[in-house]
Amino acid sequence: MLRDIFRSIGGIENYGIISTVIFAVFFFLLTLHAVRRKREEMDECSRMPFDDGHKEINDHKENQ
Amino acid sequence: MENQTFYYDNKIVRNFAYATLFWGVIGMVVGLLLALQFIWPSLSFGIPYTTFGRIRPIHTNAVIFAFVGNGMFTGIYYSLQRLCKARMYNDVLSRINFWGWQLIILLAALTFMFGITTGKEYAELEWPVDILVAIIWIVFGWNMIGTIIKRRTGHIYVAIWFYIATFVTVAVLHVTNSLAIPVGLFKSYPIYAGVQDALVQWWYGHNAVAFFLTTPFLGLMYYYLPKAANRPVYSYRLSIVHFWALIFLYIWAGPHHLLYSALPNWAQSLGVVFSVMLIAPSWGGMVNGLLTLRGAWDRVREDPVLKFMVVAVTAYGMSTFEGPMMSIKSVNAISHFTDWTVGHAHIGALGWNGFLTFSVLYYLIPRLFQTQLYSRKVANLHFWIGTLGIVFYAVPLYWGAITQASMWKEFNENGLLKYPNFLETVTQLIPMYATRAIGGALYITGIVMGVWNLILTVRAGKFLPEEVASAPARERVSGKRGAAEGIHRWLERRPVQFTIAALVAILIGGIIEIVPMYLVKTNIPTIASVKPYTPLELQGRDIYVREGCYTCHSQQVRPFRSETERYGEYAKAGEYVYDHPFQWGSKRNGPDLSREGVVSGRQYKPNSWHYNHMLNPQRLNEQSIMPVYKWLISNDLDISTTPRKIRVMQQLGVPYPDGFDQIANDELLKQAREIAADLKSQGIEVEPNKEIIAMIAYLQRLGKDVHAAGNPTAHLTAK
Repeated sequence: MLRDIFRSIGGIENYGIISTVIFAVFFFLLTLHAVRRKREEMDECSRMPFDDGHKEINDHKENQ
Repeated sequence: MENQTFYYDNKIVRNFAYATLFWGVIGMVVGLLLALQFIWPSLSFGIPYTTFGRIRPIHTNAVIFAFVGNGMFTGIYYSLQRLCKARMYNDVLSRINFWGWQLIILLAALTFMFGITTGKEYAELEWPVDILVAIIWIVFGWNMIGTIIKRRTGHIYVAIWFYIATFVTVAVLHVTNSLAIPVGLFKSYPIYAGVQDALVQWWYGHNAVAFFLTTPFLGLMYYYLPKAANRPVYSYRLSIVHFWALIFLYIWAGPHHLLYSALPNWAQSLGVVFSVMLIAPSWGGMVNGLLTLRGAWDRVREDPVLKFMVVAVTAYGMSTFEGPMMSIKSVNAISHFTDWTVGHAHIGALGWNGFLTFSVLYYLIPRLFQTQLYSRKVANLHFWIGTLGIVFYAVPLYWGAITQASMWKEFNENGLLKYPNFLETVTQLIPMYATRAIGGALYITGIVMGVWNLILTVRAGKFLPEEVASAPARERVSGKRGAAEGIHRWLERRPVQFTIAALVAILIGGIIEIVPMYLVKTNIPTIASVKPYTPLELQGRDIYVREGCYTCHSQQVRPFRSETERYGEYAKAGEYVYDHPFQWGSKRNGPDLSREGVVSGRQYKPNSWHYNHMLNPQRLNEQSIMPVYKWLISNDLDISTTPRKIRVMQQLGVPYPDGFDQIANDELLKQAREIAADLKSQGIEVEPNKEIIAMIAYLQRLGKDVHAAGNPTAHLTAK
């Protein structure tokens, strides 16, 4: 059934070629880059929303 | 390094939040009125300003650009300052952004009501307002990038990447799609025609969804979801892949709005391929959002902010699965021109945008006013009524869509259309439309409860206009890339370079799709019998655009037997070469009109029928849902614009002979008298200088040229 559905899509013969090229080049490089990033660095980046400049104010008040 | 004390500007956030609530109510009430007009067409009140064709753009623009737009600015102005640990770059720019945006919305509502429109879906604003949009958008981008440059943090957080992509892409889309030559202060013709106009328009239209309704809200998700859940985003690595993959792929997908149209097949195929691939980054983002809630799901039960966010992200996942499925040609053959598209759009707008906007407002307003939300119970009730509203809205439309598409395609045992009268396929849907209106009313009820709850929260609290914060100044580091620093890591601290990289990513798809459409002339084979519109037909076409007829009628016969049997010859690229703008439409609440003038065709009606139909459609068929257009009969046609219109058309390449502008009105009057005489012979007295005459002239021209070609394919020649 699946074969029939795919066969009925116009221009199906081009889809594989175009998508393979795009996936191979773009996603490979991107994913490679993301995977190679250091864990600590990524963790630090992901915590950014929690540090909005109020912590320093509170620390400053506490020091006073 | 010593700490610096500074203040966040909360006033601009509050103003945008108020505007979001105000326009949200207005936009959705107009939507409800539209929904009710399907059941009671008399709710257009017999006046031009409230007909479906004129207020449908008010609804879409009010929800997209006013409600969602102001919601986006609210969320961005709050989160950007905190992620950059800096006040906005310039308070004056913030205020210009706010007041300028509200002015644009007001102008949009007024101009659409008066029929001042370009006739291009989601880009209906005429050129003076378009210029204002461009200016205000640049002000927003200038303020945003200025803030990022003066930030006190090193890394630019992923939410800001999405904001940057939103800014650059919307600027490119808006400018490219709005290029036009003015005829006067309130009228212009786009520089593109027919197929090319359609491609540019849907490249814009699709990416307005992508870069106005999606990317900024993904940015908001990456900030507010971790904040509300008190958990960092599940995977920052995944967010990097999500961002680049999404912006790179999205821009290519526009042609999926034009499947089975006269658009060249290669462009349609590209649109399908990239639409299907879009599932990967879209779901990557959704999974990243939902998994951020790991360990915090128990709080979803209690916290309305998280509840709204979870349904918003889930609706995003549903829409981004459904969209690629609808892009597959076999599915599109059923879904296109039906209410399926409307249902799909509303899962995105009500679920993803609406619910995320309200989660942000429920999160922000108590903080801005240093208090608790007035009533959690009412917020929870808003959530449940809103969710129920979405279900009641979308399900009947899906049901209706499949019903209508099946009726359009059904043949009887003699090989004839089983439902040759289009109206039969509309009246069948009335119960579904009624249920949809109930869904819309439920959603609005939820919003009214939300607005009430937030007003009481504001009253109970004390506004904090200047919020003090403190952070060390950003360490000065070289702008050059360090030896061990990767390109992306470098980009993450360089806002201008990052913006350029995002621009390059989105331009690749746009250029590959659009440039060949202009350079390769075989893409648009001309048809020898297709001639420019006569001056009267041109004026009639402008009235057709003014009244927003494209919101209910397509001009695009797809190459299916069920359509060629019902309407006539399928659409060819060459028949639209003089159409500035194209009027293919995207939804059939009424039949396709592109073969309306073919005398021997199924759709043909005499002049007298058109006159009576515009005067009172229900008199011809009491089940018709078309509004009355009686003012076309009393309004004088303004022919003072004809010479200028002809000259602009000549500038755009329409081959009117030299000096034709001088004699155009003579020809116009001659043709008008002929139509008036024909009407008189049918017992209808009407002066030739009335708008109805021009409208009839235009409708009677539709499809004639292609029909005159006999066997159209025999006349195809490369330009």
